[in-house]
Amino acid sequence: MTAIPDIRVVPRWRRSRAVLSVLGQLPLTGKIGLAILVFWLLVLITISVLPLPDPLAMAGRRLQPPSIEFWLGTDALGRDVFSRTLWGAVYTIPIAFAVVLSAVAIGSFMGAIAGYSGRWADSVIMRAADVTLSFPPILLAMTVAATLGPGLSNAAVAMVIVWWPIYARLMRAQVLEVRTREHVEAAIAGGAGRMRVLRVHILPLCWTPTLINATMDFGQVALLAASLSFIGLGASPPTPEWGSMISEGATRFYSWWIAMGPGLAILSIVLATSFLGDGLRDIFDRRSRT
Amino acid sequence: MQHYGNLHGSFVRACVVGALSLGAIPATGEAQESKALVVGRAMDFNSLDPSRSFCDTCQIYLSSVYDTLVALGADNQSLQPGLAESWTVNDAQTEFEFTIRDGAKFADGTSVEASDVVWTFQRMKNLKGSPSFLMDGMISIEARDPRTVRISLESSNSEFLNKLSAPYAGIMNAEVAAAGGAIADETAAEQDQAENWFLSNSAGSGPFKLVSYSPEAELRLARNDEYWGEKPYFAEVVISQIQNAVGQAQALESGAIDVAMQVDADTAASIRSDDVTVEIVPSYNFLYIAFAPGAKGMADVLTPEVREALTLAINYDEMVEFTVGGNGAKQAAPIPNGFPGTANLPLREQNVEKAKQMLADAGFEDGLSIMAGYPNDNVYGVDINIMMQKVQQDLKAINVDLELRPLTYAVWREELYGDGLPMTGLYFAPDYYGAGQYPAYFAMMPGTTWLARSGLDDQETLVNPAAADLYKQALASSGDEAEAIYEKIGLEMMKDNMIIPMVSPNLVLAYRNDIKGVRYSACCNLPLAELTRD
Repeated sequence: MTAIPDIRVVPRWRRSRAVLSVLGQLPLTGKIGLAILVFWLLVLITISVLPLPDPLAMAGRRLQPPSIEFWLGTDALGRDVFSRTLWGAVYTIPIAFAVVLSAVAIGSFMGAIAGYSGRWADSVIMRAADVTLSFPPILLAMTVAATLGPGLSNAAVAMVIVWWPIYARLMRAQVLEVRTREHVEAAIAGGAGRMRVLRVHILPLCWTPTLINATMDFGQVALLAASLSFIGLGASPPTPEWGSMISEGATRFYSWWIAMGPGLAILSIVLATSFLGDGLRDIFDRRSRT
Repeated sequence: MQHYGNLHGSFVRACVVGALSLGAIPATGEAQESKALVVGRAMDFNSLDPSRSFCDTCQIYLSSVYDTLVALGADNQSLQPGLAESWTVNDAQTEFEFTIRDGAKFADGTSVEASDVVWTFQRMKNLKGSPSFLMDGMISIEARDPRTVRISLESSNSEFLNKLSAPYAGIMNAEVAAAGGAIADETAAEQDQAENWFLSNSAGSGPFKLVSYSPEAELRLARNDEYWGEKPYFAEVVISQIQNAVGQAQALESGAIDVAMQVDADTAASIRSDDVTVEIVPSYNFLYIAFAPGAKGMADVLTPEVREALTLAINYDEMVEFTVGGNGAKQAAPIPNGFPGTANLPLREQNVEKAKQMLADAGFEDGLSIMAGYPNDNVYGVDINIMMQKVQQDLKAINVDLELRPLTYAVWREELYGDGLPMTGLYFAPDYYGAGQYPAYFAMMPGTTWLARSGLDDQETLVNPAAADLYKQALASSGDEAEAIYEKIGLEMMKDNMIIPMVSPNLVLAYRNDIKGVRYSACCNLPLAELTRD
């Protein structure tokens, strides 16, 4: 009796022996990006044990510029801006992670269904995505957040609504390409069910662009969350959310340090995810290589 | 008076802020060449129609273009002749007769007549716009002859003359305004179509006349050569739109504007140009928090005892420090410091222990949660968001969790009249010099704005009969007697604990050194006609 060969195609990233070897292949900018993200992750984990002043309580005189005592100065209520900036990660990073994860899950599911089923499902899902994408992201997010009411959770819902179509399109394009490959046709000819073909033979080959995109979008989502908070549709005061902090500093340009801390924090997240996303693309996407 | 010399600046200031003022401001050279006076301001016009407009910039514009019968003196207290060269008042203060100044002319050269006054006041009353409250109680107005106007009120009102000094009571050229679509009779509220006409025309007899108005850009005035009084120094005045304090300060330093009066004290401290004078003076503006026991779910929470406990938890000294860096004053009742009846009012003090005890006695020993919605604005140099966060911090000390909801003004207004906002934060500037406008707006008396905003279906439970009685007495008296009664009204309003003043911010008058005559007016903000250049 002849053994049936395993025709499942294992994606490239799974073929890597270890995650470390992937990291080793990252370009320098990618490693820098990763290091920044690891820094923020450590801040997120250890924030409650770090010797920082209470981010909600008065720590000193109001509007003090940066000093040895207050590294990033104090705000209009005498709160330590450095402490508030680090605490801001507690709100922004989990929100950005949850939004990207939700958008990837919803968008990829919809995209996969659209790409694999075709016909009316494809039309309905893609038209819904087109309508959503036809609005400027910030405008749509503002509209949804304003309708739902201020608050970080509502802002997160608004951002998921803005972001899912991007992943739906991405996944649909991947599925359309992969489903015509020989191994998929072979699986279908071998009697595999539709869902099994999609789950086992198609989707594993479609994740790379989604992963790269999600990495890059993480920073953009953090930026949008800050933007919504900046205009009062995100975090409620006194939450030390980065966008809210910048909003509080926006009318006090002479007290530049109030907005500088959260501004740099957002910049670091956006840069880090952009660097890391570029690095991952260089590794996994052969077409992007020069 | 404070003058700030060279203070350290920052690169951020140089780069970022300069961009704010680009576009809307005439070039320095241009302003000086034409000798125009340029005032930098975040214009908040809702209308240029005197009977519809209601804003701080409106006060500057209207007082420059439309003369009133009586005017507020430079001491910000006394009344002096305006378009009316004299007037008589009966003992009951219900009959007022004005003699129009001989030779007073509108900008088109026609004489100001008693019929214009009658038409203006009837229109203000019938239009039912924001300033129509100035005509409350007027039962008749007649032109006895071309120079004499008689007004009858239904009840005594010792503040009626003060009301007539409000810029909104400026006299219009009836014929010109009517040709522009203005209507004064009872159909005015529905039929008057003149609002757009007023955006490009004026019909006053003041020292200036309107040349043009471009929303979000500039308002341009020209000297009225027909003006009956001393002609203004400046042939042209431009109010240039500059949205924020930093932009105004930068424009002032660069010489792009001559005067700014919306620079907050913190920003003013950073002005380093020797060519700029900065004066910090007390103002009659104030910011306050207000309670609405009728807001959804609050009827059994915001009881008089709880409201008193909440007011006792607030540190009013720190409030002045945190909101305006100490450049302001505490205020006892919702009547501004310096107005009749406020001199001896006891200032509120923090008493956390008593507040805790009162909350416990009221059945809230475990604390309570309240929501506060407020306009997310920066007004008179005070960031309301910061003010409310300070309130939040103070209430936390008595275990009260205050949920803050900064809102746009439109949403705030919608929610205020919808389910209601248990607590809010807001601001107030006087429309004229006189204490009566405050109980008429804030006191728990039938018909006042804040009794209506309390949200209770049964407003009777909130009505303070003593305040209502005292208010009637105050309007029927004058001088020291009225002042003593206003003090009692102030105490009653404090006892109600519905409107709690947080801070009366000082006003920053910042101007180029060569500009003279800059002063703060209680009715008119900035009297443009008094300004000159060295």
